[in-house]
Amino acid sequence: MKEKMFKVLETLKKHNVDYADIRFNDIIKENLSTENCKVSDLSISRSQGYGIRVYLDGSMGFASSQELSKIEETAFKALEIAKASRLVQREKIMLAEKEVIVDHYETPIEIDPFTVSKKDKLELLFNAEAEMRKHANLFMTQGSMDFRREKKIFADTEGSYITQSLYESGCGITAIAVNEKDMQKRTYPNSFRGNHGTAGYEYILKQKLVENARRVAEEAVAILNAEECPSGVYDIIIDGSQLALQIHESIGHPIELDRVFGSEAGYAGTSFINPDMIGFKYGSECVNVVADANVEGGLGTFGYDDDGVKGQKTEIITKGVFKNFISSRDTGYKLGQLSNGANRADGWGRMPIVRMTNINLLSGDLELDELIAGIDYGFYFNTNKSWSIDDKRLNFQFSCELAFEIKDGKLTGKIFKNPLYTGITPEFWGSCDGIANEKFWKMYGTPNCGKGQPMQVAHVGHGTAPARFRKIKVGVADVK
Amino acid sequence: MLSKNLSYDIIDFVIKEAEGYDTQVIVFSSEEGLTRFANSEIHQNVFQDETTVSITIFDGKKQSKIKTSLYNEDGLRETVKDALTNLEFLLEGELELPLISSPELIENDDYSNDLVNLFGIEERAKVIQKGINILETGYKAYGALSYKEKNLAYGNSTGIKRYNRINSLEFSTLIISETGGSGYAEFLSNRIEDIDIIGGFKTAYDKAKMNKDPEGLEPGAYTVILEPLAVGDILTYFAYIGFSGKSIQNGSSFLIDKKGNKIFDEKITIIDDYTDENTISLPFDFEGTQRQKVKIIENGVAKDLLYDQASGIKDGVDSTGHSLNVVDLGGLPCNLVMSSGDQSVEEIIQNTENGLLITRFHYMNIIDPRKGILTGLTRDGVFKIEKGKIVGAIKNMRFTENMMEAFNRVEAISQERARTLFADGNFNYYVPALKINGFHFTGKTEA
Repeated sequence: MKEKMFKVLETLKKHNVDYADIRFNDIIKENLSTENCKVSDLSISRSQGYGIRVYLDGSMGFASSQELSKIEETAFKALEIAKASRLVQREKIMLAEKEVIVDHYETPIEIDPFTVSKKDKLELLFNAEAEMRKHANLFMTQGSMDFRREKKIFADTEGSYITQSLYESGCGITAIAVNEKDMQKRTYPNSFRGNHGTAGYEYILKQKLVENARRVAEEAVAILNAEECPSGVYDIIIDGSQLALQIHESIGHPIELDRVFGSEAGYAGTSFINPDMIGFKYGSECVNVVADANVEGGLGTFGYDDDGVKGQKTEIITKGVFKNFISSRDTGYKLGQLSNGANRADGWGRMPIVRMTNINLLSGDLELDELIAGIDYGFYFNTNKSWSIDDKRLNFQFSCELAFEIKDGKLTGKIFKNPLYTGITPEFWGSCDGIANEKFWKMYGTPNCGKGQPMQVAHVGHGTAPARFRKIKVGVADVK
Repeated sequence: MLSKNLSYDIIDFVIKEAEGYDTQVIVFSSEEGLTRFANSEIHQNVFQDETTVSITIFDGKKQSKIKTSLYNEDGLRETVKDALTNLEFLLEGELELPLISSPELIENDDYSNDLVNLFGIEERAKVIQKGINILETGYKAYGALSYKEKNLAYGNSTGIKRYNRINSLEFSTLIISETGGSGYAEFLSNRIEDIDIIGGFKTAYDKAKMNKDPEGLEPGAYTVILEPLAVGDILTYFAYIGFSGKSIQNGSSFLIDKKGNKIFDEKITIIDDYTDENTISLPFDFEGTQRQKVKIIENGVAKDLLYDQASGIKDGVDSTGHSLNVVDLGGLPCNLVMSSGDQSVEEIIQNTENGLLITRFHYMNIIDPRKGILTGLTRDGVFKIEKGKIVGAIKNMRFTENMMEAFNRVEAISQERARTLFADGNFNYYVPALKINGFHFTGKTEA
């Protein structure tokens, strides 16, 4: 394979390309779903192919195929596409310098998930479902597990040759309670198929699905019977799983440098931030955020991105002050910077675009009880149910599975259903006045981040602990 | 890309390898050339050629599903072997699904030679340049022009075969002025006579020119005229949360216990109609079932739902041919057609004392599926109407609306209808503009 890839790259060099790379991916996925203690779906897929990216006179072309025998033909197709791009090129695309790398990276795993029998996996889900059903009158229970292994080979005209074996594992359970007027869900360890990380089957065992099943079931019924969450302006605490998505939507996306330069304007949108805003006040003093592709188990953890740049840790927000974007070689060049290693494709058929790695809110120094103690009346929001944000990433609205009532600095035990909160990004992060300490800090995986045309679905991560926000607009029932 | 005969050969090979079992095979082969532009220049230009083979082997209530891109004989043999191995220890599902056995053959060829000749790699770049050339200084173009060819072949061990071939063009453009005002246009078609790229640029450009010096409005209830792109967005969510038998079974649909009841304004009729000439059609579904035309809402009354095989068996009805081979979805409407009204959009505007004209929505999501409450934001053009005329632009706003109630406040439906994209442009809806009174905006933004 190596010889074949470099032979094609040599051919492209003879056609005077500025730069070219070939990326070969072999991806195996296994998705298991159970419903009411029966298998509802068990799907396995394998996708193998390669993509060739060419820059010619500052114009780009990308072509992909499954047929290794057509690798030269595909290279020439990429070249032909780059020539066509040149017809509508005002400014040449230039790439920032990078180190030539020959290396191998492998996700550190304890148990290869593809060696664990499907029967064992399903039995774990059935046990968790049975436990949920034992403790509450539920309309439906569900369980899921997802596994992915990606073998990736990257070679470029600058001499880099990088191989990677990346593993992902994830799982979750759902309890659904229904009455004649309403349907409510409670999930664990996160909504939308649970939590995910770059890890082996040990990750599944650590989630302790069965041990959490009773609480999840009882809370589903409690939510169904709860009052609607009041609307108004309140102090709130947001739990880690919801705050992870808040970080994703209102920090992760706005700092993607391709969005800033308009690459996604026609589709996913742009950003309220521009390069002149380095140093602007993104949030309060307690808001510290990094992009870290090296954090253990993060769903956005890898060795090298699809530019062949090493995964790294970049300061994004320090003491509330905006410091850096996440970038690729081409977008980094426009700022006179090196890439910080965030250019990734979701498979062989797609060109890499700027994607989040693990965008992490660093922990604070408070106990959760101390966060709660600082609220006279407010809510503790738990687990995402719905999300929406504008195309510049300013106005957001999230709804959660439930909110716990806080009164006189204590949880009262009362819960509310359908809680939602809404706000404007910098004002919201500016209102953060406390973050729980490292004991409460956890990584959450977001395996469904859509961007690009044709659509690409990235797997990214967010580390966070619960945090407190002041004077947040909760609910919209009072807006007439 | 694979031909029909090669696709059928793969199906036959797999079925033979899995002899003794009920087996279904789907061969999906596609090519897409997509040219993306931003800041009035091409920044991404890509091509993908992909074939996948999806195999399901049945053993009573067990289903072993496997999908592969390795479609040579060795790859397929190995894949079938894996699928059979999985059967050995797979636990039973809830239902035993019978294979579709009739009609024996459904074939459809919707391929246009004109499309392939007019929208090759270089031609796409040239027409984009032509569109950019109409813009005055101070305006920039963003968007994508994509040419796709798709073959879908289906076969199962009862001997039936299905085949559909189509090519299509998808175009979208956003024109932004240097002061920030934007306008947008998009379309999807497989008919050369519908395709007017330069017309799309002009539509978006005209809107961008109108969209200047927007004023902010306070949240509240306003009369809105939703253009077809915005209506298509709402119908997409109706499709996922309400129109399938599965969503009723899940307890999540706003149509639970509503069959035969008037749920929307009587002017509203919504049919899933793959035979409508304005939809990208697929005459069968991913279980091989012949697709049916289904009246979902007729004169505001809830009628029939969409089913795949599994959800159909649970409700004791036949599949309507709406499976996408995704169990969680059940049957999904891919070709919603909403009936038109008796006024032009211009007349609806003229008959509006105070209102807002909405181009499209952005990032919609579900707040409460049982009540049909959705949220989202306006994007690329909100215009103020006073005394029958557009008098200015408005900043983008967030709506949070109970659509069951909103669709009972429909005052007018346009004569004109437009195609709106569904399922990443693999299908489309065909919908009019709607005038709705008391539409709830719950927030504002500077975006």
